[in-house]
Amino acid sequence: MLWQQLINGLALGSTYALIALGYTMVYGIIQLINFAHGEIFMAGAFFAFLMVMVLKVNIFIALILAMAFCMLLGIFIEFVAYRRLRNSSRLSALISAIGVSIFLSTLALLVFGADAKGFPDGIFPNGQLQLGSVSISFLQILIFVVSGFLMLTLQFIVHRTKIGKAMRATSQDYNTAALMGVNVNMVISFTFALGSMLAAAGGVLVGVYFNAVSFNMGLLVGLKAFAAAVLGGIGSIPGAMLGGILLGVTEVFTVTVGFSSYRDAIAFAVLVLVLLFRPSGLLGQKIQKKV
Amino acid sequence: MKKLIIISLLLGLVMMTWAGYGLSKESDTLKIGFLGALTGDVAMYGQPTLAGMKMAASEINQAGGVLGKKIVIVEADNRGDKQEAATIVQRFISRDKVIAIVGDPTTGITKVAAPICERNKVILLSAGATGTGVVELGKYIFRDTLLDTVAVPALIDYFVSNAGFKKVAVITSDNNDYSVGLTQVFKNAIKGKDCTIVSDEKVKDGDKDFSAQITNIKAKNPDIIFFSGYYTEGSLIMKEARKQGMKINMFGGDGLYSPTLISLGGQAIEGSMVYVGFSPEQPTPETAKFIEKYKTANKGVIPGLFEAQGYDAVRILAEALQRAKSSQPAKFRDAVAKTKDYKGVSGTITFQANQEPLKSPVYLLEIKNGQFALKAKVPVK
Repeated sequence: MLWQQLINGLALGSTYALIALGYTMVYGIIQLINFAHGEIFMAGAFFAFLMVMVLKVNIFIALILAMAFCMLLGIFIEFVAYRRLRNSSRLSALISAIGVSIFLSTLALLVFGADAKGFPDGIFPNGQLQLGSVSISFLQILIFVVSGFLMLTLQFIVHRTKIGKAMRATSQDYNTAALMGVNVNMVISFTFALGSMLAAAGGVLVGVYFNAVSFNMGLLVGLKAFAAAVLGGIGSIPGAMLGGILLGVTEVFTVTVGFSSYRDAIAFAVLVLVLLFRPSGLLGQKIQKKV
Repeated sequence: MKKLIIISLLLGLVMMTWAGYGLSKESDTLKIGFLGALTGDVAMYGQPTLAGMKMAASEINQAGGVLGKKIVIVEADNRGDKQEAATIVQRFISRDKVIAIVGDPTTGITKVAAPICERNKVILLSAGATGTGVVELGKYIFRDTLLDTVAVPALIDYFVSNAGFKKVAVITSDNNDYSVGLTQVFKNAIKGKDCTIVSDEKVKDGDKDFSAQITNIKAKNPDIIFFSGYYTEGSLIMKEARKQGMKINMFGGDGLYSPTLISLGGQAIEGSMVYVGFSPEQPTPETAKFIEKYKTANKGVIPGLFEAQGYDAVRILAEALQRAKSSQPAKFRDAVAKTKDYKGVSGTITFQANQEPLKSPVYLLEIKNGQFALKAKVPVK
């Protein structure tokens, strides 16, 4: 049963990791905690839900369409709500982010109603793979494969491509990168697109896995993913993955040992503990004050 | 001169109203107040209750009334608002001089109305309140609903003797008062029965991930899951159970009784069960007659729980009046309290010494082909 619960925890953690990546990348580049990120996750889930219900497309195509949709949504949000505030105080951009978050979730509430919606039966084969005493459902395999693939791709983009190099340069020093001829506006748009795309993938996977898409699904998951990003060290991409998976596994094991009432409380207590001993997160760099 | 005319006209008007007031006061009617919401969020409980009450009143009146008088239902819309409800109760008692009030279908407003009724010695018969601490509010407070404390022991007996269930997994939503209360009822009821709780898991309303809890439960290999919460979590729990390859079903109270349970649960929820206080299927002769009459009077609409309980409430009051041979408060109250084995359309009703209703049967519904279908009428001993 321990192994089984580990699988459950890894599946949950992988979805947190996908979302945490978006927080961490945006923060790494413009030091903004993008609170609308949880709602992009929700928007991705609803978009795929609509694709499946109305256009009857395959779930994989819906996943790709939702990722594309959220890329555009992310770029659009950055352009409308954050770009003009880039040189004003960080608090203004943060409030703007909260505004976008409330706007999107209220919009979803008005359009789709308060009840959770479920994907239809049989959208994804409901079988299991038996490995000794452990059974892994096909959905869990899907989550591992999709999130693993996306995280590897992300690592490749950031470390092996020209745009990745520009992203890293911008995150190290925004002004110098701009002086060196990096098109920082483009880099920031690209970062939002990439982060939103991952959130959309997370949203669709969570929507299918738990079979529930609702207007407020982004709130708690967004908060947990943000916590995961902080746990791993905000700004650090491997940190976000590690943080997400740790948080998921902690939650599940809290339930396993019989404290199901306290799952969120204990998960967040662990977060506080880690931060007390490592204020910059597990894999975060020491914060240096620029003089 | 003009002034004088206006004043005398006004005086005349006032006199006329007084006269009318006096007339209605001494007419040959017995008034029963309807307390409930006809608009707003909880109108879906109030409207059917009133419809059932009106049908009972018109039947009684067609058969000659009670104690030689006609029954009149006085209605008002409290919109589910506690303050409004208190005002209405006062008005029913002081202006309309009702002999009894039926309602409110919700526990909260019943508790607001109860002390006022008790003070004025007017019977309050709630056709819907199922929460705790209602009839304790006074000697004049009654209800005709199926209580969880009555239903759950009967259901455990039924599952043990009919399906041979020995091991049950309990799931509670611990940020939901209803769920916490129902789980307590279940745990009290299962003591001494040939069935044990092998797993006691907690979830929260709004949770989406139940994988860890289900894995815990699966390891204990129970025969059935008892979930005391609401329909959204209920359907997601069963989805997760099927995903992990579990074949067992779930049962729970009327918190699960919603079309959303089925639309969200799909195939996973097939075979799961909920218990409720009324079903139009497999009716007794009384219930069949009620359903037919209701359908004819309401364009083919099939009556549900609240119509049936509203109907039964008025019938119980009328029957008690017959036995008391008077509408004098103390006599009337004692007659209502002595209601025993009253054959209502929602089941047989007996008021126990503590005024709580003992209702039989419990209607156990099973989800079959995407519909709630009556599985069994479980008798209460």
